[in-house]
Formats: sequence, C-alpha cells, structure tokens
Amino acid sequence: MTVNEMAQKVDLKSLSTFEDRPVSGVFVSDMVSDVMAGAKSGNLWLTVQTHKSIVPAANLVDVSAVIVTGGKDVPAETVELASKFNIAVLSSDLPTFELVGKLYQLGLGSS
Amino acid sequence: MADCQHTWEMTGITFGFVVFEKCFHCKDLRTFFTEEDHPYLGEGYREDDHYWNRMEAAQTFQFDLRCTRCSHQVSFRDLMGLLHCTGCLEDCPVNVRRLALEKDRTFVLVAFGFLPQALEKPIPEEKLDLLTEYFNSRRDTSRSKIKILPFTLIEDLPRCKGDFIHDIGMLSQEPVTERKPLL
Amino acid sequence: MDIRAIKEALDAEVIEGRELLNDRVDHVYASDLMSDVLAFGQPDSILLTGLATQQAVISAHMAEFKGVVFIRGKHPKDGAGKFARENRLVILRSNLDMYEACVRIENLVQGEQGKLEARKKADEPEKLLLSQERFMEGSDFANAGMISTEIKSVLKKIGFDPKLIRRVAIATYEGEMNVVMHAKRARVFLTVTPKVIEVIIDDEGKGIPDVEKAMQAGFSTATEEQRAMGFGSGMGLPNIRRNTDELNIESQVGQGTKLQMRFMI
Repeated sequence: MTVNEMAQKVDLKSLSTFEDRPVSGVFVSDMVSDVMAGAKSGNLWLTVQTHKSIVPAANLVDVSAVIVTGGKDVPAETVELASKFNIAVLSSDLPTFELVGKLYQLGLGSS
Repeated sequence: MADCQHTWEMTGITFGFVVFEKCFHCKDLRTFFTEEDHPYLGEGYREDDHYWNRMEAAQTFQFDLRCTRCSHQVSFRDLMGLLHCTGCLEDCPVNVRRLALEKDRTFVLVAFGFLPQALEKPIPEEKLDLLTEYFNSRRDTSRSKIKILPFTLIEDLPRCKGDFIHDIGMLSQEPVTERKPLL
Repeated sequence: MDIRAIKEALDAEVIEGRELLNDRVDHVYASDLMSDVLAFGQPDSILLTGLATQQAVISAHMAEFKGVVFIRGKHPKDGAGKFARENRLVILRSNLDMYEACVRIENLVQGEQGKLEARKKADEPEKLLLSQERFMEGSDFANAGMISTEIKSVLKKIGFDPKLIRRVAIATYEGEMNVVMHAKRARVFLTVTPKVIEVIIDDEGKGIPDVEKAMQAGFSTATEEQRAMGFGSGMGLPNIRRNTDELNIESQVGQGTKLQMRFMI
C-alpha cells in the first residue's frame, strides 16, 4: 500500500506535495525524541505536533508520511518545508486512537 | 574489533531535558542535560559575573551507539542536539554546504555539543561521521541521504536562527504557539 | 471497559492503583501533548502516553481521567506515583509501543461489543437473523435436491453444528422430494433465529388425504415411474419427523400441503 492509497482509504487530506511511496508500519508519538530513537524508514508517523521541526525529524528517519491527527491546523511554513523536502504531510480529523483503529483495519502493523 | 564492519544501533537511551541558559549581561549561552522530571525555568540567578536566565527546557534524549556485531560502544553523551539549518544567513558556511549537498539529495543537520565546553572541545569529526553513517543505515540512501556537520562551522553563533529537533512545551498546560530561536 | 481488562490486554504492570482496577473507563486518549489532554480529554478516560513525568499524571487528573498508561516501557519518576496515590489514579506501565497498545485496546472494545451483540441476540430468541425464500417446480427431477443443498450451504457458512445441519438437510430434502413427486410447485422458506432454524415448504398440489397414514413408514403413494427412479419408498414423512424437533403438517386435498419443520439450535 502506498501513501496515497492509504490516504484515500482512511480519508486523509494531503497538505504537502510529495513523491508517493510504499508504507511500512505505523509509528505513533508526539515526541521527536521517540521518533528519532524508534521510528523506521517507511513508517507512517502519527502526531498532533505541527511545528516545522517535525519536518527535519521526519526526514532524518525517512518516514513515508506524517499524519497530523485531531483535525489540527498545520501552519503554512510546515507544509512548505515538507513540500520542499518531498515529505508527505497529511491531516485527519480523527483523534489518534481512532485513526489507529482504521489503519489497523487496513492491515498495517506496528513500526 | 578493528576489522569489524560495524552495524550500529542506539543503546542506553535516556529521556530528559536540555536546559538553555543565557547570560543577561554578556549573552553567553549555556546548556546542560538533566533527567529532572520538570526543570524549573523561573527566575534568573547570579554566578560570578554572570546573570543566568533559563530560556528553555526542551525534551530530548541521550544515547550511545553500539555495534551489534562486536559490541564496541561509542558514547554520544556529548551531543546536545541536532539543528536544522533554516538558511537565515546566506553566506554562513553551514548554509553554503547545505545548499550544495541538497543538490545531491543529501540533507544536512548540525550537531551541537554542550556549551560552553564544546567551544573548546567540539565533538570529533569521526564521531559525527559515525552518526552520519548510523542515520544513513536506517534509510534507503538511493533516495536521499543525511550529513551531520559540526556546529563549529557556524561563525556567529548568537545570530543563528536554526531549529533544534527537540520538543518544547510537552508539559505545558496551554498550547505553545511560538518557538523562539535559542541561540 | 474496566481497567483490569486494559491491563491484561497491554500486558501491563500496575504501578499505582491496584485497588482501582475494577473501575471502568469510557474513552481512551493517546497523546504526549498535555495541553491537548487538558483541552480535549473527556472525563472517565484513560491516558496512553510516552511522556513519563508527573505532569502527565497531573494533566490526566485535571482532565478527570481514571488513570495513565506509560507505554514503551517508560518509567515515571517518584513524584508521579505519589500524586497518583493521593488522587486515586491508576498508573500502568506497558512495554508495547503506542500503535500496538491502541490496537489491543481497540480489539478489546470490539470483543466486548461482539459479546454484547451476542448477549442481546440471546435475549431476543425470536429475533430474525436470516430469512430466505426459494421457489421450486413439481416434477423437476433434474433439480431435485438443489434447494436442500443450498440451505445446507447457507447453514454451513453460518457455522452451525454439522449434525444439526445434516438433520435440516435430510428433512428438507425429503420435503423437497415430496413436492417433486406430488405437487405442482412450492415455496420454501428458511428462517433462522438465535434459538431455532425453521424450514417451511408450502406447496400447491394434491394434498395429503390422511396425514396419520402418511406418517406410517412404508406407506407410499408414489407412481410406478417414480418407484422406478428409486423414489417413493414411503419413508418421506417419517424421516422428516425423525430429523425435526417440531413438525407441523397442514394439508388440504386438491390444494396443497404446508410442512413446518423446526430445529432447535
């Protein structure tokens, strides 16, 4: 499953421009330390954080996409930086816990 | 051990805070790592001629790298954090290198040691190369790569407006809307 | 769900609040950002977080949560435990990562909902779970047995006991054969409730003049032709009776016969 396919199935809104790529595993955390220590390349990263340093963090561990949950507004500068780095930033109105349920139903596993 | 083709993993992961302090008088910057539950930012305090103000406590972590094959371990406790260059100063050596490397799909991060010690004794380049190698081993380098640069490339530290990759305001009861440059 | 169930689902260690495990929580909130917990958390929730600090427990308390689960094996500092004790909050610690923890609790909720549905169905014995209607023609020897085969397949898919399915299949087959041999056409109804499988074969045909006689083994009104095909040994109705828990026969000569066959689950 690719980022775009997944996004369509769980009703996510694409915010940045990015190169589509396969998804492998899901990493859920709002702390970049956790992401740097534990996320794997290709993971979907679920978070409520929207500040622009999520982009270099996402880039450092090479996640396939950042999904901002809880219907948060993502500032333009975060989206712009993500587009520049070719990183997918998507948004969901669902709270983290519920979005996990949906991703699990798609057959996605842990990081 | 010398013949080992090292495969690195993070070990000894400790979560805590980096506290940023600035002197009111001379603008010197000080940083240290603490495992305190909730570092107190409060009022400034005097020490010799300095009047230190705690500017920020950022959530971060410390680690060592260990080879999964030969168990050789390299400490990274002298790493304060990784900074993302925002290109605030066009001819800053970091910015120049960043632009050059980005053409080659290589993304740059600046490794900071703890201040002021790291100004005298920066993190050795071999260690930064090791860190680069480690992060690159976690990704498909045919798509893009990482390069870790030393912070000593930055000529005018107090003017740097880069963003550290760490968390601010996790404990705050109200959402933190703004992140100020820390240097 | 109750906190004990969450503890078990997450293979968690109880750090505080062992006496509160029977408490129930209505919602789960997964976050490391305490301002969000305060802004969006609902009372009687449980917090899943990787932020192992006293502040997490304080925030949970202020949002009127019942407790906190620290995930990724993270250890809160002493202050967290003391605060939880003083304010009657549960602290659990699990080695699972956030995704896995959420998935396991989600499965727990689904499981409970599934049980609840089953319980509800059990409380409504007459609640219709399945209702199907089929048509068949008399004298259609070529397709004889098709309906009982279909019904057998439907019941197998639902997962009923094979012995029960066999009884339904045999009884329905016999009823089907009677239609093929003695009637013009028939409607076959299959109904399933939590307690009963019912098959009704309602035909338009000769009817049965003497039901009691027809119930005697060996009694047959089959034609020569039919006997030649191997049917009409007169075992039909007795065989149906043997395989059903309840059998009701209504018949009117010149009009038709209605067989109501009931099988208890």
